[in-house]
Amino acid sequence: MNTLLAGNPKTKTTGTPLPWGRWGLRSVAISYLIVMLVIPLLVILQDGMREGLVELWRQVTLPIAWHALKLTLWTSAMMVVLNTIMGTLTAFVLVRYEFPGKTILNAIIDLPLAIPTLVTGVMLVVLFGPQEAIGSWLKEQFDTSIIFAPPGIIMALLFLTFPFVVRSVQPVLLELDLAQERAAATLGAGGWTIFWRIILPPLTLPILTGALLSFARAIGEFGSIVIVAGNIPLVSQTAAVYVFGEVESENRLGASAVSIAMVAIAFSLMMAANYLRKLSKKGSPEEIE
Amino acid sequence: MSIVLEGVSKRYEQQIVVNNLSLEIKDGEFFVLLGSSGSGKTTVLNIIAGLVSAEGGRVLLHGRDVTNLPTQARKVGFVFQNYALFEYMTVAENIEFGLQVQKVPKKERQLKRDELLELVGLVGLGDRMPRQLSGGQQQRVALARALALEPDVLLLDEPLGALDAKIRGELRRSLKAIQKQLGVAAILVTHDQEEAFDLADRIGVMSYGRLVEVGSPRDLYHRPQTEFVASFLGTANILVGQTEGKQIQIGPHRFELANEAARFSPDGRVQVVFRPEDLVLASSKTSLDCAPLGEGVVTNMGFNGPSERIRLELPAIPGVRAIAPVVPFGKQNMVIESSRTAEQAASLPLSVGEKAWVGIRRLHALSHPGMSFLVVTDGSLRSQSAISLGGYLARMAHARTVLLGVGDDENLLDAFLQDARKQIGSGMASIEVRTDRAPTRFAIARSIEQRPVDLVIVGWRPVEGMGLAEQTLQVGDHHLLLAAHPGARFEKALVCVASGEPGKDDVMFAGRLLRHLGASATLLNVSSSAPNTEYQHQQIERFMAGGVHSLEMFGVPTQIKLRNGNPQTEIVQEIKEGEFDLVVMGAPLPNKDGRFSLGGVIEGVMKDAGNCSLLIVRSHYHKNTINYY
Repeated sequence: MNTLLAGNPKTKTTGTPLPWGRWGLRSVAISYLIVMLVIPLLVILQDGMREGLVELWRQVTLPIAWHALKLTLWTSAMMVVLNTIMGTLTAFVLVRYEFPGKTILNAIIDLPLAIPTLVTGVMLVVLFGPQEAIGSWLKEQFDTSIIFAPPGIIMALLFLTFPFVVRSVQPVLLELDLAQERAAATLGAGGWTIFWRIILPPLTLPILTGALLSFARAIGEFGSIVIVAGNIPLVSQTAAVYVFGEVESENRLGASAVSIAMVAIAFSLMMAANYLRKLSKKGSPEEIE
Repeated sequence: MSIVLEGVSKRYEQQIVVNNLSLEIKDGEFFVLLGSSGSGKTTVLNIIAGLVSAEGGRVLLHGRDVTNLPTQARKVGFVFQNYALFEYMTVAENIEFGLQVQKVPKKERQLKRDELLELVGLVGLGDRMPRQLSGGQQQRVALARALALEPDVLLLDEPLGALDAKIRGELRRSLKAIQKQLGVAAILVTHDQEEAFDLADRIGVMSYGRLVEVGSPRDLYHRPQTEFVASFLGTANILVGQTEGKQIQIGPHRFELANEAARFSPDGRVQVVFRPEDLVLASSKTSLDCAPLGEGVVTNMGFNGPSERIRLELPAIPGVRAIAPVVPFGKQNMVIESSRTAEQAASLPLSVGEKAWVGIRRLHALSHPGMSFLVVTDGSLRSQSAISLGGYLARMAHARTVLLGVGDDENLLDAFLQDARKQIGSGMASIEVRTDRAPTRFAIARSIEQRPVDLVIVGWRPVEGMGLAEQTLQVGDHHLLLAAHPGARFEKALVCVASGEPGKDDVMFAGRLLRHLGASATLLNVSSSAPNTEYQHQQIERFMAGGVHSLEMFGVPTQIKLRNGNPQTEIVQEIKEGEFDLVVMGAPLPNKDGRFSLGGVIEGVMKDAGNCSLLIVRSHYHKNTINYY
């Protein structure tokens, strides 16, 4: 009894984990990464290059493919501009103001991440479709259509990427020191000066990070766009939809080539976003020694 | 005048944080607002700067009414406790920010910036980022930035609070030197007494939103007017004695009063203060060169460099009550705190347990008598209100408080007393806990006999009768609060008076209490019928004007209400319409055998008044008055 109460030596296994445990864990994680990410990436790279770089370039620059890529990039860029402005504004309102329904709104922001993108497309068609009230009114009054046209693509992308800027700006905004703004006010600075010179500088990096993330997310969007924009070559066909079409028509080389272009764009965006994140961590003021 | 505040108030969620505060600060004056945390001192700065809006009152800067101006237009320099430097700008850009906003040309701006860097002793550091500087340096930058626009006034919110002791001392000296050099009026907020004494031309002591006293450091230390300031600044011995003409009687000894044109209390009781260094210790009564207080035993000694602190216990002096230092309950002896220089110590070495004669070289009488409360609890639901409201009132009014627990189950008693102490919590001037196993009314009587108080607070619920209240009034000369609702904050009080009775004391005590709470009052007169003659009418008006005058003397905003009809129904009607949470009524006359009966108007009002608490005030002149309640 006494020895039992005095303490079981087996329970004292604190300290460094055993070497095989460490290496075991590492190899599992690394193998998983290789199987799930690296191999598929390498395969598509190899598949696209199997006829050589010149053929790859030719496939990418085919008029339809080239147009699809351009359309993807400029609609995404439009979306990023709008999303950055409105996302920052939304984050600001969520952090700084009190209003009824704030908690609900705050929860809704993440919803686009959970809704199937096809559903997103359907929602927009129901809202703006040529047979629907708003769609036909727009057509009559301004002779513009949203569905089956680039504005529809931008709308769909805006919906999907809404959380990115908001969620990367919000935490930084929450931690801002209000005393700095009050100090600026005592020095005669009005609302706009305070926003541009005091509030915005620390938000620049989070805003850029959010913008890059939403851009990367938009490049590959398929589900909502295929519904909203249809599949009209040289009009509303984006890169992802083009790849889908090429796969269907068994032009694997064309599919792989445009895929590689998309991967390259997405990859460089992610790298840039990562770099900015690191920068923003380093840039934040540390404790004074 | 650089800064004038007139009757400024501010509430956060019902809680009063700045209570009807008025203040004038002269050109070039260094004013320090001193108070513990939560006393509202920072809010005062924010109100002056326009960072927080005041609810009532006016703010004038150099004669300009800025009450409704935004911060940007007020021309104040503000230094924050956490520096609040713009972290994405260099030191130079920080200092130039204000000038840039005002569109000052670049050349001029740079000139001014260099001048300021030199003033605060940071030449050559203009290109650094704030985070590359030490705390002390950052606060120097913040000071330079605040001075860049040559503000009308400089507001400093605990600027030295976040720094360590050595840098604090250094920065304190430069701060004072810079302020004098520029001649700008400054208000500094701090909880550090030493800092206040060191920097201030004048100090304002704040507590619970009120400016308790204002004066030079010397005046506040040697001639405080209130018990709160006397014990808040430094160590104070406080006794209650009797005035005899121009002398003060403390037991058998009489002391000459050098100062005082004080407004002593009508019954001749007066609180006297003497500092540790005002005492003389000697080996015999005859070798004292000043008035003797008694022979005491050394219980505690401490050494702090230039002087020596000695705590002595003296036998109680009949008729004299010691207030500070607090005597443990049950002990009759008096505790006195003294200090002496190394020279004095050398001539009469003392150690713990030895005896010495204590003489008083100098003493000072407080001109504002402090209040004392007795809060009664028996662990029941109704005493919850007494504890909650009693604690709140005692904190706000700095009243010395006795918490009396009654009940015959000792364990239960201990448990709820501990709970009550926790609830009443910190921020009390002094609190003493007693227990008594006798029935409540005897326990109250016994406590009052030992230690008379100004106000007894008991819990009360509408289902109960007036028995305990009647008995409580019988055992002493105190006022009585029947606390009905634990959450009440007494923002609106209804003071019921009847014309014909002097009622001055009733109104005066209500005023003394209400001013601490930031409450407003409505003075209600109910006549049985509308006044017939012009004479009657004038009489009522004159009487009410007197009441308003008394209340407003205490800074309690007061309005008048006249009603005709049955007193009970009219008062209840008024309570409901005005949503009052406190009603003040005069105590009725006692019977021939000294008993009180609260049946009639008071009982009737309380039955119908819902959660309204009742303050029953006693008139010291009641023997000559006719009171129809």
